[in-house]
Order: sequence, then C-alpha cells, then structure tokens
Amino acid sequence: MELYKFLPKTNCKKCGKPTCMAFALDLLQGKVKVDDCTPLLELKYKKDYDKLKELLGADEGKEKELRIDVDTDLCDGCGICVTVCPVNARYCPPTLSGKAPDYPPEKHQLFQIKGGKCELLAIKYCRRIEAQGRERECRVCETYCPRDAVKIDYV
Amino acid sequence: MDMIVNTIRMIAYDQVREYSFGDNNSLKEKLGIGFINPEDFKKLNLKSSLNLRLTNNFGSVVIKPKEDKDVPIGTIIIPVSIWANQITGIENDELVYKNIRVSIEVTSDSVLGLKDILNSINE
Amino acid sequence: MSSKRVTCSGCALLCDDIIVKSDGLYIDEVLGACLKGKERFDQVTAKNRIINPQIKKNGELEKVPFNEALNEAVNIIKNSSRPLLYGFSTVSCEAQLKGIELAKVINGFMDSNSVICQGRVLNKSKETGITLTTITEIINKADLLILWGANAAESIPRLLNKALFSRGKFRMTGREIKTLIVIDPVKTASFGVMGVRDIALQIETGKDIDLIRVLKEECCKADSIQDNGVAGIDKDDLKRLLLHLTGAENGVIFIGQGLLRPQTREDVIKELLELVQLINVKQQKGRISVLMLGGHYNMAGFDHVALSTFGKNHSLQFSNNCLIETSETIVSKIEKEDFDCSIIVGTDPVSHFPSILSKKLMKQPLILIDNKQSATSYVADVIFPSAITGIECGGLAYRIDHVPIELKKIINPPTNVDNDEKILNKIINALRGV
Repeated sequence: MELYKFLPKTNCKKCGKPTCMAFALDLLQGKVKVDDCTPLLELKYKKDYDKLKELLGADEGKEKELRIDVDTDLCDGCGICVTVCPVNARYCPPTLSGKAPDYPPEKHQLFQIKGGKCELLAIKYCRRIEAQGRERECRVCETYCPRDAVKIDYV
Repeated sequence: MDMIVNTIRMIAYDQVREYSFGDNNSLKEKLGIGFINPEDFKKLNLKSSLNLRLTNNFGSVVIKPKEDKDVPIGTIIIPVSIWANQITGIENDELVYKNIRVSIEVTSDSVLGLKDILNSINE
Repeated sequence: MSSKRVTCSGCALLCDDIIVKSDGLYIDEVLGACLKGKERFDQVTAKNRIINPQIKKNGELEKVPFNEALNEAVNIIKNSSRPLLYGFSTVSCEAQLKGIELAKVINGFMDSNSVICQGRVLNKSKETGITLTTITEIINKADLLILWGANAAESIPRLLNKALFSRGKFRMTGREIKTLIVIDPVKTASFGVMGVRDIALQIETGKDIDLIRVLKEECCKADSIQDNGVAGIDKDDLKRLLLHLTGAENGVIFIGQGLLRPQTREDVIKELLELVQLINVKQQKGRISVLMLGGHYNMAGFDHVALSTFGKNHSLQFSNNCLIETSETIVSKIEKEDFDCSIIVGTDPVSHFPSILSKKLMKQPLILIDNKQSATSYVADVIFPSAITGIECGGLAYRIDHVPIELKKIINPPTNVDNDEKILNKIINALRGV
C-alpha cells in the first residue's frame, strides 16, 4: 500500500479509525480526507503531508467504488479464483476440494466459470467491502491468477 | 546464423480449435508463427512485414516472427502444428520434437497455407 | 431445462464435477469446465464437422451413402497384405477391444498414441519399479509438487487448481502448506503460480540427466556438492531441492514431454525412476510418487486393455490369429515403408508426425474414422464420421492416474452417425462375409 508508507504509523486513533492501515484504505476509497489525520499537520510530517496531497490530487474526498475486472482474452478457465476466494470457501462446500460449486449459485458466491471463462456474479459480499480489520486487505484472486487476468481497482 | 527451436503446446494457439471452428486464413495466421526475444529481433533487423525461413536437414519452412521477452536468447518457440513439423524429424528410431538446430535467414516469402503445405509434402 | 453433473472428456484429467444445462436435444450452458472442456462440448455444433461418409474420386472427396464407403474400405483391406492400425486414444475401451479383434482378422500391426507418450514410462517401470498415486490422495495429503519438463498450465489447466490450491482433509490450509518446484528451460505459464517459498529452476536444455545423476550421488553420501552447481543451477538451489526431496511427507513428480525427448542416447526415464526408488528406500516416514501427464482422454485405457489381454502394450503384430514377436516400432514401420494400407482411428498423424513420416503415410491408401475435421481428413481415401464419446455415446475411460471412470450419454448423435465400436463391428462383419 503506497499511501500507508507516508502516514505516522502510530495507531493513535485520533482520527476515529482503529489502525493507520484502516485509515489508508478509507483514504483510497474517498471516505476521509488527508486533513482528518491531525498528527500529519505538525511540522515534522510536512514532507509526508505534501506527498500524500500530491498522490491523491483531485481524487481526494471523492467516493470511489470497488471494481474487479476479469480480462476474458487472457482467462483460460482454470478455476483457481473460485477455489481460493474465502467467501466461496465458507458458503459453497464443494469448492474446498477444488470442485465446481452447485447450480443455481448460492447468493454469497462471487466467481463462477461459465463457458470456459471466469465470470463475476455479485460484488457486494467481497471481503474488501464487508469485513473489518486485516481481512479487508484481501487480494487473493489477483495474486494467485496464473495469467494475471483479474485486476482490483477503485473508480 | 544458427538458433535452437523448441515446440510447445499453447492454449491460445491450438490447432484442433482452428481446424474445427476456423478457416484457412485463421489457420495460417494463428499457427505459422514463432516467438523470439526482442534483442534477437533487433539483431536480425526484422520488421513487421518480413518473415523468417528455417532450414535444416529435415526440411524447411517459412514462419512469421513475434516478440516475447520471456524467451531465452538464441531460441525460437513454435506452437505444435503442421508448420512446426516440417523441421522435426527422426533420429535413432526416436521422434525429435525439442532442442532442434536450424539455420535462419530473413526473407520476404509469405507463409504457406494448408493446401500448399500438403502439396509440398507430397512431392 | 434440467441441469445435472457430467464427466468432461476434454483432456486426461476427466473432471466429474461439470454442470450441463440441457433439454435432451441441445446443450445450452456448460458450468465449471475450463477452455479445453468447453471446446470439446462445442464440437457437437462445429462449423467444419464431418457428418457424411466420403470417398476420394478423381482427387476430390465426395459424399456417399454408408454402404458404398463400407464396400470401398473392404476392397482396400482385401487388396493389401500388411495393414497398419494407429490411434485408439480418443475412443472408449469397448472400441479399443473391437480394434484388437479387427487387427487379428486382417493380420495387421497395431499401435496407439501412448507408445510415443505415456506408455514409455510404464514400459521402463518393468525394470526398475514405480510408485503411483491418485488425484484424491494428492488433494488430501501432498505437500510437495514438482513439475519436471511439464507445462501443466497449458496442457491440463485444472490440474494446478485441484492439486495445489484445494484444501484436503489433512492439508486444511491449502496453498500455504504446499511447496511447488518447477524445472524447465523455458519460462512457461506454469511459473505464474509461484509463491514465496517455491523454487523456480531454469535448467539448460538437454541437461536433465546431469541433474538426476548428481541427485543420486548426493542421496548416498554426505553433502559435498561442487561449488559451480550443475546444468545451469547453482549450489544453494540444489541443496534446497535435495532437502525438499528427502524431507517431504508426500511428494509427487509430474513428468512431461520435455523429459521424454532428449537427443542423446541415455535413458532419462530409467534414471529418474531409479532416483525415486532410492529416495523412497532411504526415507523413513514419507514417499515420493510419479505421474505422467498425457494429452488424450483415454491414452491410459489402451495400456490397460492391451496389458490385460496380451501382457504387452506396444508393437502388436498379429499373424494367423495370434500375437508374434517383433522388434519393429510404428516409427520404423512407416520409415521403411513396410505397409500397404493404414486405418487411423481418432487421431491426426499428418499434423503430429514429422513431415518425413507423413509423406510416406500419404503414399498408401488411408481409411479414417474420426469425428472432426483435421489435416488427415484432407488426404484420406475413405472417411467414416463417428459420434463423440462422453456426449453422444457412452463408454469406459481411464484417467491419468489409472482410475476407471464411466462416461454417459447426454444427447443423441446426428442421424445415421454411429459410434466407433459399431463402425468397427460393421467392417469386421463385412470382411467375414456376414
């Protein structure tokens, strides 16, 4: 996380968030502004403050949404994203041993392989939206895809 | 100049798919190709309109070169197809598909279609 | 519209968890299958599919009724004295048995695709012994996977999904507890799943035998590896490889085409199997197994059918209704032009063989039994179209780990198109004059 590098990393909780990492995630999504971190306004953090303002630019404070893109030209239907997703593993038992989930899909299921290519069903149950703490940094589908076809982005 | 040829299987360049769903043009464009390192591309002064002719004691074939930075220097990677099998052969009663030595030259001949290749085998 | 679980026959893994939505006449949707499996289901409605029997007249192929094609094929076989049969790796086990019966009737020489692929490992294992394993054991127990000369991401896409990322009964944390080692001279797509604890070894081409010999020496005596490594691999990576091999609880080595095709006279497969036996004897609590990656879905089936009938799975030469000894192989037979007609079942030799062999194959009359268009179908003299096994007809097939799986019928084949077993039966009956 590039934004986390320039924060004080003291977890002082003056902004109302439990850790500096949670503040960095909310900053990326546009839910808070850089000025909400009061220790950053002191003189010793002036360089980090300027760098954060420069990185965010005009996007500061704008509400951004999570978007997961699957490039269908690169995907070969191997099904690794279905097996590693922690939401799929909790609600669809066949995916634990690498099998295809049942049909019709359960309402929490995120990915399914249709016609030889990966397809995203519903994004609102993804860990990056629902969970708290360290589970919000989940990036397993992007890390483990062997063809680099899954991309996580905020727009 | 000499280089080494390796024939490998690729999902994106599959001959069964082109025979069943494609036509003669798509066969030639998808399978008559070879991947080489960008540095070799520069050393041979290749352009997008030129092709490569590979020759050895088993036969000769013309392919279209493409760039790929994961290929080691001095190697050409060709997908498994009837074009690749013009330069594979037999040695000591064994089939030879990997690690084949060829000599290359830049040419402006075009890649042959399926009917022409079958006719050239028959001669 | 109903949905049910079927078995896919796209490659040798035979996944049995595919969901198909169909109304009995057409297939609407396929869920859970990779790209290779989806294309196998698409062959039913392929643009270039052959549905009518064809004969070559005046250099061009013409559509004819079935009986006319049958008469032409029987004439070709009766006018020949040394027929050749090849293929049999994309048909069911029942059709393979019929093929053996046909070879006995016409005194032919029979061989299958596995003689240049999987069957070689089984033949070498008669001298050294082999340790096999099954896919369910790999899911539940394996903690070390080695891909040696094999490109699993391109030939069997779902293998890494099932073997590496699944959470089995004894390996519930999945990917974090398993180690992957890839040994390959070319950086292929299988390198894309590497994690922090995995090892990628880019070995020099053709030098696998040196690596195997060094590992065999080090297994027996204390560590004294040379400083400059071997075959392009440095000393630290070699030590880590040896530690993983001798310390794993349950390891699997996947062998691919890259290890079967050296240009030297040494026997790489035999030395690798000896290394595996040496490690298994020295280890106290674990073991290493070997699995060969094959392409077509019933390549292992022909090995089982031939081994259980004759005790031999390659170079089957028949004379007077019994098997005779011969030292010829399919490659030497075609190169010396020691045949005068060929029957090809379910494969495409004009595209797969080197051009020196396909030139000699095209000089003699060729009879083809297949369900799709290919380069061989452009040069054949008689073509019989057949139904697709696993979708339009059923049968028995063997997986890459030698487990038998029953394939079922989902929809009906096109009108007047039989399956391979019935076509071979009609040829046998016509030859006997029945």
